[in-house]
Parts: sequence; C-alpha cells; structure tokens
Amino acid sequence: MAISANPELLPGTLEMLILKTLTRGPNHGYGIAQHITRVSQEALRIGEGSLYPALQRLLMSGWAEAEWGISETNRKARFYKITPAGRKQLAQEVRDFDFQLAAIARVMQAV
Amino acid sequence: MRLWTRLSYWFRRRRLERDLAEEIRLHGEMLEEQFAGNGTPSDEARFAAQRRFGSAMAAVEQSRDQWSLAWLDSMLRDLHFAWRLLTRQPMFTIAATLTVAFGVGANTAIVSVLETALLNPLGLRHADRVMSPRVTLEKLNMRKVETSAVEFRETQSMTDVFSAVAATEGRYWTWQVGGEAARVVGRLVTPEFFQVFGEYPAIGRFFTPEDRNSVVLSDRLWRSQFGADPSVIGRVVTLNDEPHHIVGVAPASFRFPASAQIWTPLTIEPKRMLDSQRNSVMNLGLFARLKDGVTPEQAIDRVNRHVAGVKANEGSGGNSSKFNYKIELVPFGRYIAGDLRQPLLLLWGAALLVLFTGCANIAGLLLARTATRRNEIAIRISVGATTRQIVRQLLLESLLLGALGGAAGLGLAAAAISLVTRLTIPGGTMLPLVSLNGRMLIYGFALALLSGLVFGLAPAIQLLRQSQSLELARSRRKGFQYLFVAAEVATAFVLVVMTTLLLRSLWAVQQTQPGFDPHHVTTAYTLKPKNDPGFLDRLQSALRSNPTFESATLGSPLPFSGGGFTSGFQIRNRQRSGGPMWHGEGYMVAPEYFHVLRLPLLRGRGLSSSDTPKTPLVCIVDSNFAESFFPGQDPIGEEIFMYNGWARIVGVVASSRGTTLEANSRPSVYYTLAQVWRFPSVGILVRSTAPAGAAIREAVRQTNASVAIYDVKSIEERMGETLGIRRVTSALLTTFGAISLLLAILGLYGVIAQVVSERTREIGIRMALGAHPAQILSQFMLQGARSGLLGLGLGFAAVLYAQRWVSGMLYQVEAFDIATYCAAILVILSLLLIAVWWPARRASRIDPQQALRHN
Repeated sequence: MAISANPELLPGTLEMLILKTLTRGPNHGYGIAQHITRVSQEALRIGEGSLYPALQRLLMSGWAEAEWGISETNRKARFYKITPAGRKQLAQEVRDFDFQLAAIARVMQAV
Repeated sequence: MRLWTRLSYWFRRRRLERDLAEEIRLHGEMLEEQFAGNGTPSDEARFAAQRRFGSAMAAVEQSRDQWSLAWLDSMLRDLHFAWRLLTRQPMFTIAATLTVAFGVGANTAIVSVLETALLNPLGLRHADRVMSPRVTLEKLNMRKVETSAVEFRETQSMTDVFSAVAATEGRYWTWQVGGEAARVVGRLVTPEFFQVFGEYPAIGRFFTPEDRNSVVLSDRLWRSQFGADPSVIGRVVTLNDEPHHIVGVAPASFRFPASAQIWTPLTIEPKRMLDSQRNSVMNLGLFARLKDGVTPEQAIDRVNRHVAGVKANEGSGGNSSKFNYKIELVPFGRYIAGDLRQPLLLLWGAALLVLFTGCANIAGLLLARTATRRNEIAIRISVGATTRQIVRQLLLESLLLGALGGAAGLGLAAAAISLVTRLTIPGGTMLPLVSLNGRMLIYGFALALLSGLVFGLAPAIQLLRQSQSLELARSRRKGFQYLFVAAEVATAFVLVVMTTLLLRSLWAVQQTQPGFDPHHVTTAYTLKPKNDPGFLDRLQSALRSNPTFESATLGSPLPFSGGGFTSGFQIRNRQRSGGPMWHGEGYMVAPEYFHVLRLPLLRGRGLSSSDTPKTPLVCIVDSNFAESFFPGQDPIGEEIFMYNGWARIVGVVASSRGTTLEANSRPSVYYTLAQVWRFPSVGILVRSTAPAGAAIREAVRQTNASVAIYDVKSIEERMGETLGIRRVTSALLTTFGAISLLLAILGLYGVIAQVVSERTREIGIRMALGAHPAQILSQFMLQGARSGLLGLGLGFAAVLYAQRWVSGMLYQVEAFDIATYCAAILVILSLLLIAVWWPARRASRIDPQQALRHN
C-alpha cells in the first residue's frame, strides 16, 4: 500500500484538525488519524510522530482531556475529549484560518 | 502556559511517558489489525507497522520535551550533584552546617523574644498606637516611673492627641475556689482600658463608669476555671472576701499584662486629681491611645508644652522645676520590653556577629576547596559548561549548605525558645508568650539562605576569573582568605571585649553586699484576710513557736521583690510650696525585722511591740534618708508626714539595697505594721538554716486556712532573680564570644596550614639551598600575625562603635576599660600565634629530600 507524500501543514493546523475531529465526540489517537485521513480523502495522512506531540500540546493547554477506555474493537485505548476552552480555541482558530486562507487566495489570484 | 500546569506535568512526567508509550503501542496494534483486515500479508503488515517505530519514538521524545522544564531539571541535577559533593566530605559539611545552625538558631530565638517583647509586643493588634505616659523626676533619680492621678486627669484632657487614656494599678487578689484560697493576678483598670487597645469582649461586656464590684476574666482563667462556659456572665465570684459580678471575658488574643488573669474597675477619688496631689501617690500605670492621624512626635510635643505650662504656673521655685519634672511618653513596645530591651538588642547584634564569623569561616574553607576543584571545573568548561552554569552550580552548593544549616538552626531555635518560656527573670512576664511563629521561621530560613549566598559568593567570583594565571589566582585567593580571617578575628575581639566587660560587671554586682545578711532567710507573701483583726499577731506567734526557726518576722515589701512603696512626704517645720518636696520608700515591718535581717541600728531605738495604734505614730529612717534630708543633723525627734499623719523619727538603721544590687537604694522609712498597713499583702521572713518553705505554709494555714500564700523563696533566690537578666546575658554572650574566637582560630590555622602544604616543594628547595628552619618558622608566624593584627585593628575600631551596646549594662567598669582591652588583645593574639605555630613548625621541619621527591 503506497503512502502518499504528506503535504506540510501550516503550523497549528494539525491541532485545529484534531479539535474539529473531537467535536464529533471523544475519540482515541488511532481513530482521530483515521478520521482525518478518511474525510480528507487520503490527502492528509497523520503519522504518530506528529499526532501524539500535538495531542500532548492540546492536553497541556487544557483544550482537551484524556482518559483510558475501551475502544469499539474491545481494545484498551486512550480517549480524547474536547473541553469548553478547546471549543472556544477551535472557533478562534477557524476564524484565523479562514482569514489566512482568504489572504493566501487573494495573493495567489493577483496577477 | 501557567507555571503550575507545567509543574503538575513535570511531577507526573514518568507516568505520562509510560501512558504515551502504551498508547502508541496500542495504536500500532490497531494499524496491524487494519492491514490484516485489508488482506496485507501479516509479515508485511508487521513490517509496515514497525517502520513507524522510529516516528513513534520521535513522538515520545517530542512530548517529553514538552513535559520537562529544562531549568528545573538541570537545577535538580545540580542539586543532586551538590548533595553528592557534600556527602563526600562529611566533616566539612557537618562543621559548616553546625556553624550556620548555631548562628541562625541563636538569631531566630533572640528575634522571637524581641518580637514578643518589643517589635510586636504581646501580639496586641494596635500596640504601635499605644504609649505609656510616665513621670521622670530627674533630681530624685526617678525615671519613667508610674504617675499620680493628676497626670491621668491631664493626659485625659488632651483629646487633640489622645483618643483614649486609661489608668491601671497592678493587684493580687485572693480567690476562693471550692474552699481553697488561690492567688490571682490582674489589674484594676479604668473603663477606657480596653478601648485604648481597641479590644472588644469575647463574651459579655467590658466596664462602664458605673461598675464597682465587677470583674472581666481573661480567656485563660475562663477556660481553666469555668471550662469556657458562656453562661458565667452575671455569676458572682469572691475576690478578697468581696463578691464580684463577672461582666465579660476578654478575647484570647488580649494578654496584657502578660500574666493577667482578671481585670476589675479602678475608681480614683476626685481629691487625688487635685493639682496639689501631683507626685504624691505615684502608683498609676497610664496607657494612651494616639488619635488617628496623630504621630508620636506630635503627642510628645503636646505633652512637653503642657509640662512647660505646669512649670511656668508654679514659678521658678516650684518643685517641678527643682526636680526637673517631666512626663515622658514611652512607646508600648519599649514599656513591655523594659530592662530586657538593651540586653536583647545586644544579644541580637552578638548573634549576628557570630553568624557573620561563621560565614567568613565557611567562605574561607570553600575558597580553599576551589583550589582542589580547579581541575573539575576546567573539565566542565572544556566540555561546554558556561560560566553561568558553573557559578550556578557553586552557589547552589553553598545555598544547600545554608539550607541544611537553616533547618538545623530552626530546630535549635525551637529548643532554645522552649527554654526561654520557662525562664523567670524580673520584667520577663511576657516570656511565656514567646513562640516560633511563621514570620520567625521565614526570618531564620532567609538568614540561612542569605548566609549561604554570602559565603558562596567569594569562591564563585574567584572562579569567574578564568583568565588569570594559576599563580595569580592563588595569590588572589590567599588575599581573600586572609581578609576573611581578619574579619573573624575582628568580630571575635568585639565579642570577647564585651563579654569580659559584662562578666566583670556581673562579678562586681555579685560582690556587692546588700547591707543586711541575706543568707538563710526564707520569705513568702500572704494576703491580708478580711474580718480577721488578730491575724497578724496570731501569725507571728505561730511563726515564733516553730523551734526550727532561728527568728521570724513580717514586713512588706520584701527585699528584692520589686522595691518599696515610693511616696512623697513632708517634714515638719520646713517650707515647701506646691506638692510634696521629698520622696522615700515606705516599708511596713514588724519590730523584729531588723533583727532577722541583721540590719544594724545606728542610733536611737528600734520599733517595738509597744508601738500600737493607740500610741503616737513613730518611724525609723535609714542612714541614706538621714544624710539626704538631715545632713549634719540628728534626725531623731524630727517629724515626717508620709502615711497616717505626722510620725516621729525614733531611730536610724543602716541603709541597705533592697531593690537591686546595682543601684543605691532610695531613702527609706520603716513603719511598724501595727500602726501602718498599706498593702493588701504582707511578707513573711524566717531565718533558718533548714529549708523553711513547708513550715511557713503550715504556720499560715493554721493561722487562717482561707489565706493564700505565694512566692515562697529565699532572699538569695530573690537576689539571684534580680541578676537574672545579667546572668543570662553574660552566659549567652560568653558562649557567642567563645564560638567566634574558636572560629577565628580555626580559620587562621586553616589558611596557614593550606599555604604550608601548597608550598612544601618551594620550602624544600629553600631549605636545600641553606635556609634555616627558624627563618621558615618565623616567616609563617609573621604571615599569621599580620592577619591577626589586621583583625585586631579592625576589631578595635569596631568596638569603639559597638561599646554603646553594653555601656548601659556595666557596673563599676568603664566601657573603655584599658585593662580589659589589653587583656583581650593579649589573649587573642597568643591564641592565634599558637594556632599558627602548629603548621609553621611543620613547615620548618620539612625534609628537603622528601619535599623535592614529593610531586
């Protein structure tokens, strides 16, 4: 199975994607990575090397909480849950991202 | 990110790491499972999963960086390293810890006492706004004594500077509890008393001007006698055979006087407030609360203007001008600390000096060690340590030493304070309240860390100069070390001089004879019973009938129990204007008093049992009185008016020191108890070579079982107590002086010994070239002597300044006593030379052959 080149994300974007994923409900690391890959139609592949540090940053900032639980396949897994502060942060990041995207688009479309 | 979140992660970092590793392993398992589900061959699936291993490890690494606090980690590493260094040199560590511990412990204990006595007196909340107006009659040698009612009336009317003024009178009562007679201590107070201190009752109320037989209980008495029962209000208790209503309980935090168990209302007869009564009966302790916004200086100024007005009114011939009358406002803290203030400040200064000597000593030792650590540090720098890291490491080491010493020192302080609270010395009623509170713990620990910083700085600075050559570094280091030794010698000299002066004073005081024979006299106080007119006679015969007593008598106040009853008096046929012109100490005694104390009668007759209330009032004066008021005349036959009317002087006894040994007593007058009995208490004096305490108690109990007896002590014990402050101060100062002297000697020895060992090779060469051992010996001796002399010079300059700390405590010794100074210089110098002689002699005995082969 070929692994497509992972496009470099803008800094902070990964956290935003994770938080967005968590708004659907608590999920474990594997599930989060799967979800992002699936929804992005395999355009974004998240490796553990970047996923787990990002999750740690979310935990330390208080935007997410983690708890051990049992996965849908009856495995032990650590579930992440978005906190109210995380929702606020997500809203802020989405606004910033839209603003940045629009700005980038304007630059790219200018002749 | 907030620090505490980071810290909480840092503390949990081990578990977090385990969790993360586990999580990533599970992630891998899920992936394998997914590959398997996709139909990927299992080998390939595992391989694919394992390829991710590297990135998984990177994840752990990255996360670990987030959890860790770099500075904290490296500091802990340094601390761990420092600890290992310290445990590797246990002797040095123990010596340094003990040095700091002693300095910090002594300081903290002394400051704790200072806090209770002076800085935050008795822990009262508004003490800084309270001042005690007290009277000084300079020409009569009366300073800051209690006042008459006139000053109370006057200060009370100064509403522009004082918001409340209260008068108080100390008092003992007999308290009847379940058939037993107990003595309770307290004060009579005017209604403003609690207002002055801004206090509200815990339960009930405080006094109103209408209160007469009321009582306010202290929290302690309320708990011990009434089990903290809130329904005590309104209950009646019997004090001195009179019923008193309990109207309130003071809050637990209010403990003034420190020993007070109850307070009752003080009413002052209006006629005592008349101007003519100024200085007549001076028995009121006044306390005034400064009005908000008024500074102590403004109040003092106001009072001074008032006194100037009084003097102007009386005219230049008035007593106030003649005796240099003053009203002084004593800050409450100074009032409470009293005679303890100066010794405490002295001891505090001495303890700081000891700590300073200790720091200089440890700094010297640490400097000596930097010589051996140069290699270690060079290696650390060459593998990339920055100067800052090295300095941090060194400071951390000394801070750790400081912290160890501080912890041990606080333990010492706690032990010392538990001793202090059991000390009984006059004016020390606040001592049981001393405790090691939070502020004192902070003070002690901060002092310890500061010491660590101070003695750590020198080696750190020294190592910072990397550029200098080895030789330059060595000579610089030596310079530092000699300077430290000189500083140690200087402080040791200051302390030794002060100690010697105090010890000489103590010795001189102890040699002073009180003027009567104080040996084998047991004394006690008992309280006058109501409704028992024959009590005194029966008590005397009960005492006399005891065959083990050589002799027995009554009299009050007892010698060395706080002095006589100071009163103004008049002399028949002498002109005077305004208030009373003369003051003397009144004593009321039984006729055998002079016989029991072996106080010789100089002229006339003694008091006799035939002097009764029905016969003319007579008195006896002491020779001090006769010389002061009847110089060159015979006082016998003259009449004075002190108590109960005109009394004829019938005899003169030798004067004696009855208050303190240090000061000549004031002119004294003796009345017979049968004619004048002014005190609620009466003293018992028994001369007996066998212990008499139990027999005295028995005699009192047989005479009247409802009478309390207290304060059973020999006169020698009482004399010892008046020396208490002096003895404790001298003992502590001796300890401090000895320790700092020992530190100075060890310091000098250490430096010279190190120099000798460093220069063994050089000495060997010189000896091989023909240097004489005596030359080598004298060279090192001179080096040591130079440093010692520099220290003595510094110390001499310092003591010129510091002698003022002791000057008030000296007795028959001048603060600048040449003999003491010379002796101190000689003793210290010879001790230092002995300390230097040891290593110097080793240097002179170096065998050139061995020294050259060595190294």
